[in-house]
Amino acid sequence: MELTPEILKINPAATAERIKMFIKDMVKKTETNGVVLGISGGIDSSTVAALSTLSLGSEKVIGLILPEDETYNETDIRHAKRVAEKFRFKTVEITITPVLEAYYKTIPIFDSVEKISRGNIKARARMIYLYYYANKLNLLVCGSSDKSETMMGYFTKWGDVAADIAPLMDLYKTQVRQLAKYIGVPDEIIAKPSSPNLWRGQLAEKELGIKYETLDLILYGLERFMSTKEIAKQLQLNKQLVEKIKKRWLRMEHKRQMPLSLKLTYRTVGKDFRLYHTQ
Amino acid sequence: MKRFNIALTQMTCTRANKEANIQKMEKYIQKAKAENASLIVFPELALTGYTLRDQIYELAETIPGPTVMTMEKIAKRENIHIIFGMPELSEKTQAVIYNTAVLVAPKGYVGKYRKMHLPTHSVFEEKRYFRQGYKPTVFETELGKVGMLICYDAFFPEVSRILRLEGAQLLVCISASPAVRRHFFEILTVARAIENTVFLAYVNLVGLENGLQFWGGSRLIAPSGKILIQAKYNEEHMVVGTVDYSDIKPVEAFVPTLRDLRPEIFQMLQELSEKL
Repeated sequence: MELTPEILKINPAATAERIKMFIKDMVKKTETNGVVLGISGGIDSSTVAALSTLSLGSEKVIGLILPEDETYNETDIRHAKRVAEKFRFKTVEITITPVLEAYYKTIPIFDSVEKISRGNIKARARMIYLYYYANKLNLLVCGSSDKSETMMGYFTKWGDVAADIAPLMDLYKTQVRQLAKYIGVPDEIIAKPSSPNLWRGQLAEKELGIKYETLDLILYGLERFMSTKEIAKQLQLNKQLVEKIKKRWLRMEHKRQMPLSLKLTYRTVGKDFRLYHTQ
Repeated sequence: MKRFNIALTQMTCTRANKEANIQKMEKYIQKAKAENASLIVFPELALTGYTLRDQIYELAETIPGPTVMTMEKIAKRENIHIIFGMPELSEKTQAVIYNTAVLVAPKGYVGKYRKMHLPTHSVFEEKRYFRQGYKPTVFETELGKVGMLICYDAFFPEVSRILRLEGAQLLVCISASPAVRRHFFEILTVARAIENTVFLAYVNLVGLENGLQFWGGSRLIAPSGKILIQAKYNEEHMVVGTVDYSDIKPVEAFVPTLRDLRPEIFQMLQELSEKL
């Protein structure tokens, strides 16, 4: 198998159709009124919000724009609103700063300098808003995580990844870009560098230490059981870099599963209850 | 050899780290040798740990292969027989894997047994990853005739029976049994020894792997069903017991199960199993 950009090419039309069908089916089977999404103005949330509207219609989609003072970025908000206008779904803008400040003030061990724990509060606070809307209005929370960041564990546990459905989770970032382009997500959103925006200046590719074009090819190789040696050789990369990515992928499995349970009795949640999401 | 010492070594494995597990096995081999053991037994998939899921594809090796060569060298150097479990990669394909028990002797590689009954229920996913073995096999060694079985095989008396009918004097059952199944194995291992009038060494994994707690409790059982020696529950432990084949005859005479076998009903067993 040759690791070239060609192998990451998807059929965007067919993929969009399948995702639309999935969203529609899940809303129907769960007897909910539609979906609520957090929209950041980034490519993933814009794409999944657009697909939700194309699938369910405008009235069944609500986008929450949840900015906070520290990372407030007018361009991102403008992008979020532009997508909402283009695909005609409702948005609600809520500044979450007061809530964050309440956490900062009340956590006895709070450290304002350490970025990760602090940034994760933001992602988890947003989750609370999304689930409030979902509970109150009988909606599904539609997540926007893609396969690259999910495999890398590049997300906040119980934060941005928390959702009822995750329609993009099986598409690498470079594949989401193809899909976004096809369904008409504005170019400036597709072109801008990805960021979880948990602190100022945070950039995904800088933090991961690799461009998505390369990362996706490495992950594609790992997905297909290629050795790190072979991947490094083909992509002309340092083997240590590929090893590091592989280790990170494996180490982050705890973020992708229910909490680890201990087998104590007959059938165990998270182990050998093998049931489906929808009945 | 009619009488020899056997070391039952229930160990905690470092998951997916063959090097660390080989190092640990080597230490126990030296310890077993110091206690005059002629055979040391390690648990099912001791080379890699039990819970591997998709990582198994990169850990499985052919037999013979690099790990078996290493174990051969150790067996030769320490003048000891070794039985251990590992994921075995087929020589003919790149993703057909067996759950295998390997026997090496001071003279080199003796043979392997591929697990015939792969649990795929409850917490077990073995059929998803392994191809089943096809034949119970007995190996002629300096320690007499040895037959191997792996964990869930103990629930199927046919495997032990065939091994015994092939002449096995010692059955070695390597295992990775989680705590909720302890009572099954404590009964079944004794039953397999009694019904076949044979020595049975059971060696289980110990420790926690991904929320599965392996209970240890390895034991050497005499043909009479007497537990000659037993390792601790829930902690890494090696115990050394003595196998004395001269103990088989008095039991065989007292409970002559092999004399009383009724081969004519075996056909029925096959027919009824096919029609289940």
